[in-house]
Amino acid sequence: MRNFLRKTLLGSVFIALLVLLGACAENAANGSSDAKDDPASDYPSGPITVVVPAGAGGDTDLNTRIMAKYLEKELDTNIVISNVTGAGGATGTQNVLDAKADGHTVLAFHNSMLLNNIFGLTDYTYTDFKMAGVGVLDQSNTFVTSADSKFNDLPSLIEYAKENPGEVTMATEIGSMTYIQTLQFQELTGVEFNIVDIGGASDKISALLGGRVDIVPTSLGLISGYIESGDMIPLGIMGEERLEGAPDVPTFKEQGVDIVIDKAFYWGFHKDTPEEIVTKFSNAMDRVVANEDYQEEIENSWLSPTFLNSEETNKKLEEINASYQEAYKKSEEDN
Amino acid sequence: MLDMLLAGFESVLTIYIILLIIVGVFLGLIFGSIPGLTATMAVAICLPITYGMEPVAGMSLLMGLYIGGVSGGLIPAILLKLPGTPSSIATTFDGYPMAQKGEAGKAFSFAIVSSFLGGLLSIVVLIMIAPPLGKIALQFGPYEFFAIVIFSLTLIASLSGNSLSKGIMAGLLGIAFAMVGSAPIDAFPRFTFGFHSLDAGFNILPVLIGLFALSEIFISAEKKMKGSVKANLKKVNYKVSIKEYLGQGWNFLRSSVIGIAIGILPGIGGGTSNIISYVAAKNSSKKPEKFGTGIPDGVVASESSNNAAVGGALVPLVSLGIPGDTVTAMLLGGLVLHGLQPGPLLIQNSGDIVYGIFAALLIANVFMALFLFLGMKGFVRLLSIPGYILLPIILVLCVVGAYGVNNRLFDVGALIFFGVIGYLMIKFGFPLTPLVLGFILGPLLETNLRRGLMLSQGDFMPFLTSPIAATFLSITIVSLIFAIYKNKKNKKQESTDNLEKTGT
Repeated sequence: MRNFLRKTLLGSVFIALLVLLGACAENAANGSSDAKDDPASDYPSGPITVVVPAGAGGDTDLNTRIMAKYLEKELDTNIVISNVTGAGGATGTQNVLDAKADGHTVLAFHNSMLLNNIFGLTDYTYTDFKMAGVGVLDQSNTFVTSADSKFNDLPSLIEYAKENPGEVTMATEIGSMTYIQTLQFQELTGVEFNIVDIGGASDKISALLGGRVDIVPTSLGLISGYIESGDMIPLGIMGEERLEGAPDVPTFKEQGVDIVIDKAFYWGFHKDTPEEIVTKFSNAMDRVVANEDYQEEIENSWLSPTFLNSEETNKKLEEINASYQEAYKKSEEDN
Repeated sequence: MLDMLLAGFESVLTIYIILLIIVGVFLGLIFGSIPGLTATMAVAICLPITYGMEPVAGMSLLMGLYIGGVSGGLIPAILLKLPGTPSSIATTFDGYPMAQKGEAGKAFSFAIVSSFLGGLLSIVVLIMIAPPLGKIALQFGPYEFFAIVIFSLTLIASLSGNSLSKGIMAGLLGIAFAMVGSAPIDAFPRFTFGFHSLDAGFNILPVLIGLFALSEIFISAEKKMKGSVKANLKKVNYKVSIKEYLGQGWNFLRSSVIGIAIGILPGIGGGTSNIISYVAAKNSSKKPEKFGTGIPDGVVASESSNNAAVGGALVPLVSLGIPGDTVTAMLLGGLVLHGLQPGPLLIQNSGDIVYGIFAALLIANVFMALFLFLGMKGFVRLLSIPGYILLPIILVLCVVGAYGVNNRLFDVGALIFFGVIGYLMIKFGFPLTPLVLGFILGPLLETNLRRGLMLSQGDFMPFLTSPIAATFLSITIVSLIFAIYKNKKNKKQESTDNLEKTGT
């Protein structure tokens, strides 16, 4: 309760400050360039707002909140999570681009930002941010089917789909990660699915259980309960190796489909944020990922607690971006 | 099952957890009663606090918030004609006229009792038959949702007041406003004119409180403030006889069932259930013309169904791990963070926690009714605060609430914009509810139509041949014919009345 009061109080003070900051931002930009040698020495000088461009309760939100909980201790400041939904994450992302580049507003997001750019919905991408790093990798991207399905592995799916083009229904959300994965899969195996938009993770689960679709691309951790109950069967994961928590689920690669896609949950700052601040934040993230309690919490949902620094993050996103772009280009050529 | 429930009560009946539930209900009521703050926000703010608690304790707090948040909306709805949340829109229709007539106390009594019983019934349904009901919910796909939305849109006919054409225009305006922003499915921005702030479209909350609350404030500002309400205050009657309650039995039961059913269907939620129940009560009443003039039937219909939607929304969450509305979506996140696996095995694997949640719900429901009854006389006193003091405070709260939706000033601008729209609509005699209904249902209609067509690969037939969809579409046609017939009859009546008048 006290914690809550403190947070709301701080929140409202922060809001008031933001308004003030907005008003005098121009003055500050002119005068303070040579005020200090190391801008990171007194960072953070106030609460840090983390913009999560997704709703509360989803995997993006949960992973961010877990990281934020530990970061609060490392950086010794309050971290306020601000869920800004809408436009496939573009609204929240834009918020960070519009904020002051002082390191007190940070974006926590994943691969979707790259896709928004590739599909032409936004005119910026990961390179327009200064990346602090990655704290979680989701290497459990999977295709699942229901228990009464005729498929039990990828070869049987591919064989059937080749003989009956357009008949296997694939539940995705157009423009999302699952959509591009499906395009990649079609490209690599030469099959043709009936790709339908079903909605978010929960909608996909209900469509599969209701027998309206044949295959659902999703994340293993989001459906572990249904695998355990026997309602759903995973056909494979798109990781480099099998998961420790699910050693029975083969990779796509093992089954002859060369798709390896990680969902990277990264933290990024406004491009003009001083290098020193980003480094300080990045180092704090590094220490959190090394914390065993953090690792345990992340592994609970079958994710991999992995730290990538700024450089590695950019490299990772570059790889992902290139493979997405290729899949998109090829699917455009086919049409 | 009974021993599981007893065990559930055992885990919840500690001073610490009871206190959490009390705090939750109390905060929830505050959030629900302030226009612009909602149950969703209350849960969103408190969700991180529960991360550090035991699962049962954390979920108990959230259940208290949920029940309180849904119920608190009845206070401003009855007293000030301001629906605090979408779930209390229909409460204003008859609750406010009752308060104007000096029957605020009576309206509260009816609203609280039906909230309590509606909530109770839905929780009992949740505990007894969640798994089979959840399975039924799975049968609803795009075809079925499309039919339900079409059916719900025809309710506009019953909500249009005097002029059907004005009602339809308002409904279409709502659908048009809902089209601003990213289109469903392909996310391509529409009607944004290049403004990035419009990419996400308008949020329901600024639209709702702008239309209903801000416009009312503008209207009041126009009139001269008078202390007329004060006089009524002394004569406020809280007593409702058992007979009066019993007379609402059918209405209550029908409204609760509608609330539960709509709660179970993911994506439609409490925002529409109260309106649907209200229209159902009106259409099956012997005195439909009295609706809107301040009769308890309207209050009972709205308040029993919005609380019943709570239990309904938890059915698919508990039985299948599928959230029914925005609050349950966050509760799902809360469960995951506590290391529980939502899904068909949740009750089996974590039965102790699930039954603890059930027990917490039952307890929260009792505290909700208790707080409201205790506070009732205090709420009515709000009316004695002069408008020039109360309304500016409400205005500030509306702005804070709109800002809190997404932490951006754009939503405050949207609030004012819709306030002006609402003001103009009231001035020109347009009903507001069809606009809200169109705004909520328009995107559902488009999304499910497009999804259905993708699923059928362009074939329209499944929309008609799915048994559930066909049933709803038939009901729609029947109710439309009925509405047109009634409209004609009324017009005839009017014209003969006029003839008689001119004749004499």
